Parts: sequence; C-alpha cells; structure tokens
Amino acid sequence: MARRSHRHVVLATFTLLLWAALGAQAVTVNRTGDAVAVKAPGFTFIKGEPLSRLKDGRSVRVDLDLAVLPKAGAAGVAQAKQTFVLSYDLWEERFAVTLVGTPSGTPSRSAAYLTSAAAEAWCLEQLTVAVSALGPLGKDVPFWIRLEYRILDGDPPPAANSGGGYTLQGLIDTMSRRRKAQDLSHVIEAGPFRLKQ
Amino acid sequence: MLLCRAGMRTLHRALPVFISALLLMSPRPALGQQTDPPDGTPVTSAQVSGLELTRLSPGLQEEIGKIAGAPLDRAKLRELAARIEGELPRYVAAVRVTPDPAGGARVVIVVARMRDPEHQANINVKYNVEEIKIKGVPDSAITAELRAEMDAMKGKPFEPEQADRLEARLRAIFPDYDVSRRTMKGDQTGLVTIDFVLTRSESSRWLQFEPNKSHAFYHTDQGWGAFFDMPIGSDNVRVSPLVAWDTTEDSIEEISGLGLRFEARKIGSDRFGASLEWSWYEPSWRSSTVAAAALNPGVGLYDTRTTFTPMVSFAATRHLRLSGGVGITELEPLETFLSFPNSSMANVAIGSIGYSLRHKDRKHGDDPRHDFEAALTVRSGMEGLESDFIYTRSIGQAEYRFEAGGHQLLVSGMAGVINGDAPLFERFSLGDAHTLRGWDKYDISPIGGNNVAYGSVEYRYSALAMFVDAGSVWDHDAQRKFRISTGVGVHAGPFFMTVGVPLNTDNLRAVFTIGLRFSGLGFSKY
Repeated sequence: MARRSHRHVVLATFTLLLWAALGAQAVTVNRTGDAVAVKAPGFTFIKGEPLSRLKDGRSVRVDLDLAVLPKAGAAGVAQAKQTFVLSYDLWEERFAVTLVGTPSGTPSRSAAYLTSAAAEAWCLEQLTVAVSALGPLGKDVPFWIRLEYRILDGDPPPAANSGGGYTLQGLIDTMSRRRKAQDLSHVIEAGPFRLKQ
Repeated sequence: MLLCRAGMRTLHRALPVFISALLLMSPRPALGQQTDPPDGTPVTSAQVSGLELTRLSPGLQEEIGKIAGAPLDRAKLRELAARIEGELPRYVAAVRVTPDPAGGARVVIVVARMRDPEHQANINVKYNVEEIKIKGVPDSAITAELRAEMDAMKGKPFEPEQADRLEARLRAIFPDYDVSRRTMKGDQTGLVTIDFVLTRSESSRWLQFEPNKSHAFYHTDQGWGAFFDMPIGSDNVRVSPLVAWDTTEDSIEEISGLGLRFEARKIGSDRFGASLEWSWYEPSWRSSTVAAAALNPGVGLYDTRTTFTPMVSFAATRHLRLSGGVGITELEPLETFLSFPNSSMANVAIGSIGYSLRHKDRKHGDDPRHDFEAALTVRSGMEGLESDFIYTRSIGQAEYRFEAGGHQLLVSGMAGVINGDAPLFERFSLGDAHTLRGWDKYDISPIGGNNVAYGSVEYRYSALAMFVDAGSVWDHDAQRKFRISTGVGVHAGPFFMTVGVPLNTDNLRAVFTIGLRFSGLGFSKY
C-alpha cells in the first residue's frame, strides 16, 4: 500500500514538473480579426546582461522576429519584425517599452509600469502577421511558429586574454560571457498550429 | 520662416528645441518695425549657428562663405539648409533672414541636433539629476570644463544622450581607463544620481603581471599533469599560490610541489615593479632520463629543488620592459644517485628585456587585433653568487597573434643556448602539449639539450585549429636533428584538445592531448 502511494507521489511530481517545463515554453497562437498573434510566456529576454543594463538606467533595444513556417525548421512564409526600446523606471521599479521604427507620422506606441513578464508580453502583442499573408497556411493547414529575439545594444565584451592570460577569474568571466552571449539572442520554434476558418 | 520639408514631420521631437534656438538666435523686433527683406537684397552678414562649420564638407563651407556679399536668394538658402541636413542626418537646419539697419539682409542658418527618439524612450527622462560622480580618478584629474559639463546636468531632467556624451568625453580624456556608467535612485524621491566608474585598463599598464600558466591536461605519452597559479590581490599588488602536480610543461622534469609568488607593479611609479617567488618542487624522473643521466656525468638528478627569486622591473616605455634579479636554487641530491653527494646551489643572475605590443584601441569587438610579445632572458650561474654550476643560459622568445572575426593566426618561435654546465631544470626541451606537438620530449632528448630552435604556426577558425610545429633541441657536441609535426585541435575557452602527428619519422603515430589551459599570450619571463 505504502509502495503504491509512493508511486503516486513520484508520478504526480513528475507530471507537475513536466507540466511546469512544458508550460514555461508554451506558445499559443490567437487570431484577432485579420491578424495572427502569439503568446509565449516562456520566451523571456529581460534577463542576464540586458537586465543589468536596464537596472543601470540604460535603455536596451531589442529586435523581435515572428515567422510562420510550413513545417519545423523551414523558411518562413510570413514574417513580422519590430524593434523595441526597453527601459527600467528606477523609482517605480517597473519596465517601460516603446515600439520604435513606426512609419513616419504615426505616433510611437509605448507602455509603462510593467513587470518584466508584462513588458515581454506587450512586445509580443505588437508582433502580428496578417492572416492574408499566410496563404494556404491560413486555411486550417498545420503551421509552425518561429520566434527570435536579438538584443541590439550591449557593452562589447572585453577582449579575450587582454591581460596576463586566463586566470580563475578569467574562467568565470569566460563562462559568464558565454552565458551573456546566449542572453543576447534566442530562437524558439513551436507547433503545429491550425487556424480555424 | 521655418523650412518645411516632408521628412521633417518625423522630427517633431526636435521642434521645441529648434524653435527655442531660433528665438534665442533672432531677437524679434517690435511689431511694425520690420519687413522681410526681398530676394535680391544685398546680404551683409551670414552665419551658421549651432554647428562648427568644419563639420561640413569643404564644398558646402565654401558655398556658405559666398552668401555674404551676394544678393539674397531664399531658394538657394533653402537648398543649402537641405544640404546641411543631407550631410548631417541627425541635424535639422532652418534659415532666418532679418533686415539690416543699413538696408541689407542678415542671414542666419540655425542648425540643431535632433534628440534621439530611442533615448527619449528611456522612461527615466522624467527624473531630474541630483548628483553626478566620477569614481576611480582623483578629483584633481577632473578638468574645470568637465566639471562645468557635469554641473550643467545637475537639477535638470536626466538625458541619456547627454550622459552618453559625457561618457564618451571621459573615454577620450582618460584613454587608459575603462568607463562604466550607472544611474541610480537619488537621495530624494524623483531624483537620480549618475555614477561614472573609471577602472584602469590592463592594456594601459606599464608593467604586466607574470602571465598565468595554469593548466591541467592529459598527454598520450606523458600522462596527466597540472599546474595552478591562482592570483589574489588588487590592481597593483598580488600574491599567487602555485601548485604543481606531475607537470612536464616546458621542462624535462616532471614536477610536483608548491610555491608562492608576490608581485607589485607600481612601486612609487607605474614604471617600477618587483616580484619575489619561492617554490619547492619534487621532480619525478622518467626511466629514460635516469638512464641518459647515468651516461652523462655532467647532468645530475636531484630529489628536490627549492628556488627563491627576487626580481625588480623597470618599464622604459609602455612596450619595453627591463628586469633584473637573482635566482637562488638549492638542489637536494637523490640518495641513490652518487653524482651529488651533498646539496648543491644553482645561483644565477638574471637579466631580461621584454617587448610587448597589444592592440588596445579597438573600438569594436570585431576589429582586427594584433598582439606581439618578445623577450630575451639571460641567466648566468657564477662563482660570485656561490653557485656550484657555472653557465650562461640565453633564450629569445617571440609570439604574434592576429585575430579578425573568427580567424586567428598564432606564430611563435624561440632560440636558446646554454654555455657551461647547467642543472637539468635549465636544459631545453621540446615535445609536449605546448611545443612540437606530436613528438615526445623523452624520445627526442630525455635529458634535454643545451641548444634549442623552434617555430610554430597555428591557424584557428572559431574553435577549430590546425598547426605546424618545427624545431630541434640538441647538445653542442651532438648531431642536430630537425623535427616537424602537424595536427589539428579544438579550443573552446580554456578547454583544448589536439592531435599531433610527427612528420619526418618512420614511426608515424598520433599524440593526443586534452585538458584545460588558462594561459594566454606571453611566456614566463624568468
């Protein structure tokens, strides 16, 4: 009896962990009028070096790229790309985002007093692909989504071995730089999705 | 009067600044006193406001110079303003014409820089600047002009672009320093303080610390070995505990032991430095070394080696370094080895001249980088120092590294000669994880040699490497044989793996090394 209850605990824990892991990476696709938008709570870019930069009162520019693919790993058939400027309100301790590069004459869109998750979600909301641009993929055909971010600003990393070679501190720095480099761009793919008519 | 071009709609953020500048530059006369001078009116004076003329092309400067004295031509002036905007895309230009009391016309071309919309997107622009601090340099180094610039920012809204300009100025004024900036909450609600932190860059130092030689690796023929050099300290002073475990790097000995190195690279001045190193090593001897030493009575094996090396250094220039000192070494004899009945001293006077050129002025991480380092070191055992070994060991070494994008080229070479009878730790060797990769030093010369000549060329692309090593180590009275090896490798941070193959031999075999190496450019100086 005890062995069975242990099994249940292990199974429940495993299911919870699996659910949490999958949930963190979950991507959902929504159709709003003639546009396709995505939500990806696990697609975080306000972290690591860019986050330190923001907390130092600097702004950070990030490019977000959304592509709709006919299958995993394929070239995109439709794409949306936007550039955002993030900043961190030093007194409110909340994030602000401005969509830059909007066509001349149109007011730039922005949002403030956001948590990091809300700021990331707001950026994704601005990234939509017209259903008409999807072609056959917009007609109940499975498709995939590729999301990419690239942090465009950042202090250049110090030149490797600029001093007396690698030291233990150098090793830590080297590993940190690799971590930082990973923080500066990331791509995820998710699917398949279908748009119901 | 403002020039209106379609593109200027996007410049709406600049307009308040721009209009203010116009108003400041052109005092408005009382109503009814002024009429716009018609085209054709002689221009008595012309000036450009808000911009150094030298920032414009010579042709445009010449055109602007011709305005005064010529008849007023508004179309031409608008064209010149458009050309200024064309040459300086981040600026807007407008023309203001006012009547001259003598009946002529005065022309002012007002130029203003647009605010960067991305900087405006920083939400902290709503806060006023409470304080600006520059840390890392003495107050006396901050010029009155710089201080005035800082004061001008205080009490006003935080402008990231202005802070960027100040940061750029600090970089220009203090080229030997790395500048970082941090904006923080001020003491009062709604205010922010800006800290600029200046730290002395390593490349600007007159004297460099001893290069780190830490490594831990496996070699097919020589087994596992490790050496750790763990510096602890500040910018100018550091202490490095040294730990060796069965390492054969750069020596015929396979040593284990401990050491401690103290270094100071600023004694009164950036040009003077000193170091003090104590080490105690217990060598293990390969059977081939024992056999070769038995046949060569001039080469004795020892049980332990204890060395004390005080040195002083002087930097003649930022690139040229002179060092001198002594090395006091006591060798305890092996009990089973009869050639050393008592401990013996190998005391040397050391002189070294080093040259280094490091490419420190790269603006971007992608810019090509050149590094060059060379050194000539002479160690001389003499009776005056009560040395039991009388010899002179001279070695010249040079390394060059070129980096561009993911490509790296490393070229290194050395040549050395020993005159007299030197102890085994001073004898040259080739054929390990660092030199003549593919050969085994204990096959080439198990007791080393008193001459060496060596060269290596290595090309790396990203993490992949291919190399060709060539060299020879020999004794004065022996025949010299030149050996060549080639191979490929992988280098990722401190991790490395190489496969080297000796070329000019019948015994074609691969020598594999894998491990960690924390050393960069530069060789042990003494």
